[in-house]
Amino acid sequence: MRTLVLLLWATLLGAQSKDVAAGEKTFRSHCAPCHGLRGEGGRGPNLASGRFYHGSSDADLLKNISEGIPGTEMPGLFYMEDRIRQIIAYIRSLHVSEQNTGDVMRGAALFQSKGCTACHRAGAQGGRLGPDLSQIGTMRSVEHLRQSLIDPGADVQPRYWVVSFQDADGHEIQGFLMNEDTYTVQFMDLREQLHSFEKAALRNYKVEKISKMPSYRDSLTNEQVNDLVQYLSSLRPH
Amino acid sequence: MNIRHFASVCVSMIWLQPAAPAQVTYDRLLHAAEDNGNWITYSGSYRSWRYSGLDQITRSNAARLKIEWVYQMPTALMVETTPLVVDGIMYLTEPPSNVVALDAKTGRQYWKYRRELPKPINVCCGEVNRGVAILGDRVFLGTVDAHLVALDAKTGAVLWDVAVADHKTGHSITVAPLIVKDMVVCGISGGEYGIRGFLDAYDAATGKRRWRFWTIPEPGQPGSDSWPGDAWKTGGAPTWVTGSFDAEQNIIIWGTGNPSPDWNGDSRRGENLYSDSAIALDADTGKLKWHFQFVPHDVHDWDATQVPVLVDAEWGGHPRKLVYWAHRNGFYYVLDRENGHFLFGTPFAKQTWAKGLDSAGHPIRLPNVDPSPEGTYIWPGVQGATNWYSPSYNPLTKLFYLSVWENRSVYRKGEQEYTAGNRYIGSVPLIDLPEDLGHGAIRALNPHTGERVWDYKLHTKPWAGVLSTGGKLVFGGSDEGYFFALDAETGKEVWRQNLGGIIRANPVSYLVGGRQFVSIAAGSAIFTFALER
Repeated sequence: MRTLVLLLWATLLGAQSKDVAAGEKTFRSHCAPCHGLRGEGGRGPNLASGRFYHGSSDADLLKNISEGIPGTEMPGLFYMEDRIRQIIAYIRSLHVSEQNTGDVMRGAALFQSKGCTACHRAGAQGGRLGPDLSQIGTMRSVEHLRQSLIDPGADVQPRYWVVSFQDADGHEIQGFLMNEDTYTVQFMDLREQLHSFEKAALRNYKVEKISKMPSYRDSLTNEQVNDLVQYLSSLRPH
Repeated sequence: MNIRHFASVCVSMIWLQPAAPAQVTYDRLLHAAEDNGNWITYSGSYRSWRYSGLDQITRSNAARLKIEWVYQMPTALMVETTPLVVDGIMYLTEPPSNVVALDAKTGRQYWKYRRELPKPINVCCGEVNRGVAILGDRVFLGTVDAHLVALDAKTGAVLWDVAVADHKTGHSITVAPLIVKDMVVCGISGGEYGIRGFLDAYDAATGKRRWRFWTIPEPGQPGSDSWPGDAWKTGGAPTWVTGSFDAEQNIIIWGTGNPSPDWNGDSRRGENLYSDSAIALDADTGKLKWHFQFVPHDVHDWDATQVPVLVDAEWGGHPRKLVYWAHRNGFYYVLDRENGHFLFGTPFAKQTWAKGLDSAGHPIRLPNVDPSPEGTYIWPGVQGATNWYSPSYNPLTKLFYLSVWENRSVYRKGEQEYTAGNRYIGSVPLIDLPEDLGHGAIRALNPHTGERVWDYKLHTKPWAGVLSTGGKLVFGGSDEGYFFALDAETGKEVWRQNLGGIIRANPVSYLVGGRQFVSIAAGSAIFTFALER
């Protein structure tokens, strides 16, 4: 009997390991571009820490991978359940903790003192010019957050590309792109006012794929960057 | 019957002039190009010019175009339908696989066929449908659960319903069927599920299959040596966009899709015939008369699922039967319709994968253009320089019009294991690069030189086809929801309207009550325009 149990256990382990290997293949080609080759995260969150912010049961993961997560950049995957369960098996096999040693409280104080709230909302306070960071901890890995502070131009979402043109008096108007089509543009100016214009009527109209956020590479110490990243990473729904 | 009663009955008969359709005979289909008041087959005629000779709406009065009616569909799925219009009645498909008959003058509904579908449906790119075909008093529909259905044109009642293939293995039908003689010719989708593609012809009266042409030959057949081992069984080459018919030569010309898996060709080394090809089949037997493969051993998903445009014109000083074909791979081709020989080809959009075409029309590939694990940047992108949406040829301007994408993708190579009913694609390319979204255009080409005559640039990449008319207009649409009319000679915009939803469909034009209408699907509705009275 004991032999039979051992055999069954070995068979089960073999099947699991086969699932993990198959899941890794699919993960590498479909998930790694955002979540990293080992699930360590990138533009998408770390999936290897064992913490999931949109449900952590197999059923939750199956739903999120199949259908995507509304309100985030996570798209649905179009595989049948058996293939998605292989991906889940692979994710469960990963162990990469999020490497950051900052202090949340010090980071929160820096967030206020360094002027981040002029452009970014976190909870009830903050501006509208930059991305709302109220739940940024569920959307970005710590490495991506660190990169955003040190090299903000490395990955700029089109929503924050910079629109500029000259008004009738020759003054340059700037703002952040909200929408653009063949004929019109909609944007938020630097005073948080919304505008919509026919592009053909604008002088020297252009859209630059740059970030207006300053780099904090030289104005923050490494420890301060770690503190800010730790704070940002803690911003999650309660 | 006294004279007064007889007169009264006659008046009643005149008053009750039926709106019900006349028979769409095969003869009528053969002469659809001259039947300007109707739109009785997917591309307007067998030669697939998507051209209407109607000329009430012109460059000088198009600014007076106004919405005549709107028909809303209760769906969140993409609407890709080309409506057909027969004697005042419009037949269109609603996604996923419904059919509606409307009064073409008012948009009011006569009937609707609602199809109950099993779950799950395995489609690569949405549960969509591109339209119906009509013969006699029957309407024919392909469904996403891979059935072909015949409906009564007056009531929508089901006359027959046959399974074309098993939907559980990734087969589906999104194509508008084509009537040829007394047959319904119907293609299949599933190139992302490792199906073995085919083109079928069914008896329009009974639903019995007349012939099937497998787009991938089995071992022993000509072309089978272009597939190793068992790869032919899961090699793709679907037939998901409506082809054309050359009645004089009795050949059906149809485009085939990508080989499977899309972006990893390791398991299918070889040319992979007849994927990414134009195929010409004997209409009565389904036997292959000729083929021309645009992309041997495709690893970029560059289907040849474009509408073949058939034109008789002078070529090299002699009258010749030609096919004009702007391909997803970025090259424009002219083929000889009698034998499939390559006559001419040149890029019509930016491409970085081929040095050019050789004398036989085969691409001269550049090095390092295949998908790679780390990603390979190539123009055109994975959705191609053009795709399934229809081009148009206008006999007045003698120009070829099409919607174009100028963009690139990162092509990645990944896993490729086949399991029935699952995607079999070999990774997923990054279609839109955030830092380089590309743009679109409506483009007019000299069809004999490939030279760009004009360009109407669009900020985004269009999924809408184009229609050209006897009023020397080109109608097109954008992803932004704009429907517009351009001067067919210059490309200058003469009218536009924001319809508020993505346009992923082809326009048509028809006549009701002596007035010219233009219709197109946008968002989840059909919009119909006419000149303001």
